[in-house]
Amino acid sequence: MSKLLRAAYRIAWKDVVGDWRRRATLSSMLFFAIAVLVVFQVAFDPDRLEATRLLPGLLWVTILFTSLMGLGRVFQAEEEDGALEGLLLSAVPRGVLFLGKWSGNLLLTLLVELALLPLTLVLFNVDVWGQLPAIVGILLLGTLGLTGLGVLLAAMTQTARSRETLLALLLLPLTAPLLIAGVQALAALLQPGGEVEPWLRLLVIFDLVYLALAPWAFGWLVTE
Amino acid sequence: MQPSPADARLQVRDLHHAFARHRVLQGIDLSLHAGECGVLLGANGSGKSTLLAVLATRLRVQKGSYQLLGLDVRESAEEMRGRLLFVGHHTHLYGHLTPLENLLFFADLQLITASEERLRAVVAAVGLEKFAEQPVRWFSAGMRKRLALGRMLLRQPELLLLDEPYSALDRQGVIWLNQVLQSYLTAGGMLLMASHDPERIAALPHRQLYLRRGRLVQSLEDEP
Repeated sequence: MSKLLRAAYRIAWKDVVGDWRRRATLSSMLFFAIAVLVVFQVAFDPDRLEATRLLPGLLWVTILFTSLMGLGRVFQAEEEDGALEGLLLSAVPRGVLFLGKWSGNLLLTLLVELALLPLTLVLFNVDVWGQLPAIVGILLLGTLGLTGLGVLLAAMTQTARSRETLLALLLLPLTAPLLIAGVQALAALLQPGGEVEPWLRLLVIFDLVYLALAPWAFGWLVTE
Repeated sequence: MQPSPADARLQVRDLHHAFARHRVLQGIDLSLHAGECGVLLGANGSGKSTLLAVLATRLRVQKGSYQLLGLDVRESAEEMRGRLLFVGHHTHLYGHLTPLENLLFFADLQLITASEERLRAVVAAVGLEKFAEQPVRWFSAGMRKRLALGRMLLRQPELLLLDEPYSALDRQGVIWLNQVLQSYLTAGGMLLMASHDPERIAALPHRQLYLRRGRLVQSLEDEP
């Protein structure tokens, strides 16, 4: 492993280990996601056909709000004893710092999604198990961009007084195109004869744009 | 024979820094040679910490020039960060990690390869071997300071910048630090520290640098 990749890995490792030891972000994201799903189920009580129609929006809304919770805490560990200053004084490029922070958040969000997906299918009694790999692929593509932009915005709002509100205010409109593409891709996958490919292409484009701009913008943002 | 300023490994010329309209550093000229120790003395707000932060590359050089080992800060800040170590008022330690993990994190972000034996040796050298597996959050301020200062033992930096290094250290800690700094200087390192406590550094050969309202002056005798 190159030294720069090792540095990025170490940042992600520090965030994931820290979260595991403090039982902080992952558990609250998980409980929040389950609560949202249960509320939806009780409120709509959809039949199987309706549930299949609702599934794309339901999944993405839950993922969006759950990831907001995780993003609000991305830089929490860096508030301790000048740790952010320590990161900025390290010998690695700012882009590597971003890569590390993003990978840690991506991993936590994917872990929540991994638990969320089968739970949703069981709770709503939707029989799309045969399409599970494709669903996972779409969620993964959407999550790459969502967390990439989210970590950048979390860095931007880190010092704001009401940062979680500000983060939501910025993230929701900026990720709207990505979420629309994600919802439409899932909907097209689940309806017979639906065309997934154009939406997948859009997802990839959004991912590339967000993930190309975010490390650069992060470097600019954290420079005095 | 006195070394000439042109041979200096650290060269600062006409350095200025301001926070908004408040000018904190005004025309600083400073040079350090291998094995030399400079001690910044001055009242609160005289610019000592700001000067160290600029030399650590945490703050931008707004006007003037700063070169370390022939590297210019405007072109090679990243490379310079790998050659210097800054220990300020914050220790940059993560409370949920153990001393060993904190050192490993630091090593990876400074692109240093350090074996577990090396990390354990450093933890032992700072007198924390009994606490090697405990989270740093339970440590006293003095223990945290020792661990932060112990980073210099992982790899000798060319430039060591210390802001009030004796604060929080007990008598034994002061003796230990002076021994470490003496070895560091003998090995050719450059040290610049800010201190309000010149008696504690009396054991080290050093040059006193007086800062008043952001300017280096000949003496502080008429300081109010």
